[in-house]
Amino acid sequence: MRIRYYIFLLLVLFCASLSAQNKQVLYDFNDIPQALMVNPGMETDFQWYAGVPLLSGISGYAGTNGITVNDIFADDGLDINDKVRGLMINGLTTRDEFSQALKVDLFNGGFRSPYSNIFYSFGAYLEMANILYWPKDYIILAFDGNANQLNTRFNLGDLKTRGSTVAVYHFGINKKINKKLTAGARAKLYSGITDFNSTNNKGYLVNNEGQNNTIATTLSADMQFRNSGFGALSTAEDQGTLANTFVKRAIFGGDLGLGMDLGFTYHLNERTAITGSVLDLGFIYHSGNVYKYNLKGNATIEGIQINVLQELADLNRDFWQDLVDDVEELIPFETTNSAYVTFRPTKLNASIRHDFGAPIGSEEACDCGTDGSNNRTVKYRNGIGGQLFAINRPRGPQVALTGFYLRRFGRFMTIKGTYTIDKFSSTNVGVGINLQAGPVNFYLMGDNLLSYQNIAASNYASFQLGLNIISWGKKK
Amino acid sequence: MNRLQQSLLLSILTLFIFACSEKQDFSQYDDLSITPSVETSIFFVKVQELLINSATDISFFTQDFNFDAFEEVFFADRLLEGLISYELENTTSKPIQIELQFLDENDVLLDSEVFTLDAAPTALLTREVAYGNSGKSLDILRSTSKVRLNASNFGDNISVSGIPGASVQLRSSAQFMLRLK
Repeated sequence: MRIRYYIFLLLVLFCASLSAQNKQVLYDFNDIPQALMVNPGMETDFQWYAGVPLLSGISGYAGTNGITVNDIFADDGLDINDKVRGLMINGLTTRDEFSQALKVDLFNGGFRSPYSNIFYSFGAYLEMANILYWPKDYIILAFDGNANQLNTRFNLGDLKTRGSTVAVYHFGINKKINKKLTAGARAKLYSGITDFNSTNNKGYLVNNEGQNNTIATTLSADMQFRNSGFGALSTAEDQGTLANTFVKRAIFGGDLGLGMDLGFTYHLNERTAITGSVLDLGFIYHSGNVYKYNLKGNATIEGIQINVLQELADLNRDFWQDLVDDVEELIPFETTNSAYVTFRPTKLNASIRHDFGAPIGSEEACDCGTDGSNNRTVKYRNGIGGQLFAINRPRGPQVALTGFYLRRFGRFMTIKGTYTIDKFSSTNVGVGINLQAGPVNFYLMGDNLLSYQNIAASNYASFQLGLNIISWGKKK
Repeated sequence: MNRLQQSLLLSILTLFIFACSEKQDFSQYDDLSITPSVETSIFFVKVQELLINSATDISFFTQDFNFDAFEEVFFADRLLEGLISYELENTTSKPIQIELQFLDENDVLLDSEVFTLDAAPTALLTREVAYGNSGKSLDILRSTSKVRLNASNFGDNISVSGIPGASVQLRSSAQFMLRLK
């Protein structure tokens, strides 16, 4: 029994939305190597860094913009059926989403070439993300049914969901072009482990007054559900080789894809910079272990209809089975295995930052390139600015706006505070802390901190943490 | 690290570590009830006066129809309540009796409904039959595999109604409440 409601919770929190996380605290936090993953054109001054395997970057989030766990499961003595009806069935719309993402760095590292003055970074990570928009009319059908709803159309297009688990192998370059401009790019190889999506559904179910009988029920459907990888994992589970199959699909044994990230930092003046990045411009070609389920057609039925005069010669036929066969012929349910392509949820980041206060770290030796350029980024005690995040989602782009303040306490500690407005919350306060003890770097970030007083009542919760070894090179 | 830095560091770490949550009762999920009511037509039968007049017996039409819809496991296991609505119309010149018999797969009679219709002009006959709770047993629906229709003419077989296309028509629809959870 307990497993059932854990599964329900997972469905609520997990199937809620396939989207990638807005990493507004990490973005342009250039003391942290993993910030290169959200802007490959970030200013860097590392000589090299090595992330601790499996611990260099862990991040995740769960978001539900229309309802919280506490709304339904608070121990408040209210009937759960009243809460579900009031807050979910009558309260949520098709634009409300449930979403979740989890990302774990498998390994991550980077080094600066002494010859070309380019900073190279590389690694691999596992990313799992899901999104489900509230399928309002399906929920109404499930809870209330279609009785006494003459002429009400139930929209089959309300079903929009997608999700994937992908291993990503990446290699990036980052170069300070001149005193004002730093640019970077990252190539990505995707190895798809699992994928599912159903995002372009059309159709309706409706009861109208019938021509012969009292009710005519019409189903018009153009629906598709695609998935890849689940069959292989299911078979492997039966054979006791689930882990092997998962790893095999993660190491280019599953669906393959290509992608890239681009980014830049441009100084308007010595203390003011604008940045931008576009992430996951790419696709995955799902070709192995694909299942596509299609339901397409139109049918109107008024039950078994027997016009005795017309059917006189064949009254002994099986009218019920004929009706079932007719519906199946008019709206065939088909399974195919042809390949399909999915595009990665492309993300866009942009920011403007103004630094003020005394420069710090100037006591460090410069790491001068062969061309005489200076890689050492001048960092200031304070930074303030704004950021924009946008992501392409099944129901259109989703945007978040962030204001931030960053404060450095020597080279030991940097703290960044953020305030973000998005569809999940208008009171999203986040904070990130970066600690540097010699070469050891540790960072921890979270947002929507005001909800921490009752995390179950939060529409959104996320975290990021990581552990690295960093070198800025020898002092000269 | 000075005292300010120590305090900041401690505060932030404390914030992350000591997130709170009001008490949640996930066992409420067990009380969640999902019981939709679905509605659709069941069957429509039309017998023309021409056919009625051509029969010499009182019983002018008897036919069994396979009807497996109620036996479907998904339906039978989840059925909580049922309501079948009948609507009968007689535009012929003779009084008619329609009997619907619900039979199981061994042709055992489970239930029957009898409708008596006066000769035209006569009002539409409507009837609602409830199953479950205070109505008839749900097992009637769950076990029904076949519907037998007996139609009898209690008038003559010569006269012709003045209404064009005279016939006896039986319309029916049903609402079923199912327990999904």
